[in-house]
Amino acid sequence: MSSIKPLVAVLCAGVLGLQGCASERSETALDQAAASFQAVKDDSNVLRSAPRDVIRAGESLARAERLSSYVGSGADVRHYAYLSQRYSEIAREHSNLVLNQERLAKLELERQRLQLALREAKLVSVQQQGKWLEAQIVSLATTQSDRGLVMTLGDVLFDTGQAELKNSASRTVLKLVQFLQLNPRRVVRIEGYTDSTGTPEDNLTLSRDRAQAVADMLVDLGVDEKRIQVEGYGDQYPIEANASERGRAQNRRVEIVFSDEKGHLGAPR
Amino acid sequence: MALLALAGCATDPAPHEQMRLSEQALEQAKAVGATDEVAELKLAEDKLARARSNMASESYRDARLRAEQAELDARLAEARVLTLKSQEQLSLLQSRVNRLRKQLGEQQ
Repeated sequence: MSSIKPLVAVLCAGVLGLQGCASERSETALDQAAASFQAVKDDSNVLRSAPRDVIRAGESLARAERLSSYVGSGADVRHYAYLSQRYSEIAREHSNLVLNQERLAKLELERQRLQLALREAKLVSVQQQGKWLEAQIVSLATTQSDRGLVMTLGDVLFDTGQAELKNSASRTVLKLVQFLQLNPRRVVRIEGYTDSTGTPEDNLTLSRDRAQAVADMLVDLGVDEKRIQVEGYGDQYPIEANASERGRAQNRRVEIVFSDEKGHLGAPR
Repeated sequence: MALLALAGCATDPAPHEQMRLSEQALEQAKAVGATDEVAELKLAEDKLARARSNMASESYRDARLRAEQAELDARLAEARVLTLKSQEQLSLLQSRVNRLRKQLGEQQ
């Protein structure tokens, strides 16, 4: 090759005169284009994402190489070498773009996964969820100084004379379950009460059955039975006089007495 | 080919189609946000301007060569801008993911 170069140079100089020899520059351009083409051709990522540009880089390069064997074609050689070089660069750039897009898609999935995990972690976080539920429960309950935190389920949750919980009780009971799950050391006593209608024996049974119905639902929803005490007080401890219908309605109730955070529950009545 | 080249520009038809393609490529590059700060776009604009004056002076061969180069310069400029943008998106998303990971680490 090196022995031909001076010969070509002389030929060029002879033919082109003052224009000088273009072949040196053309050859450099050709070499660079060939190197670029080789690099993209051997890169499977580029081939995959920009096959057409790689093919065109090859075609332009072949054209430049064909032209280089003709005298006086320096400008054309450089032109097609330039085009080939550009096609290779475009192909490489496309490939970079496709790779970035693939990374973006993966990263987006990762982000969604992490967001979900974080949301769950926050929900599971005992303090936060506990505080929220605590507020909810407290809003449903009243503090009675001698018995601690007490939540009253009114008689609307039961049909007259029936011990089965109505569906409208579900929401309150669900909150109760969540609260107990998040406060695993707390225990409860479920106390049933009736009005003074009927015999004391029947009322005692009914009040106990109602309290048991609530307890059963808690157990069904996953609360450990050991954490639940059940008491029936019949028509004792009325909160209103039984003389009026309204008073009787208020006396028909189930009360849930919560222990403190350490599990200490006040003694039954 | 060599003969044609040597014969000069007299036999070259006016490269209207190539001019159209090059203009289109330039428009496209600008549409995705390429500015003169992208070296290849500047090249494309300069070459297309010269190709236009070559067209005006009926130097069709020069016009074609310059327009061909301008087209690929513009396409490269477009591709570079798109890659750059995806790169920016990538680092933004990466920083969000890192932040999430950090938060999750603190959570546990």
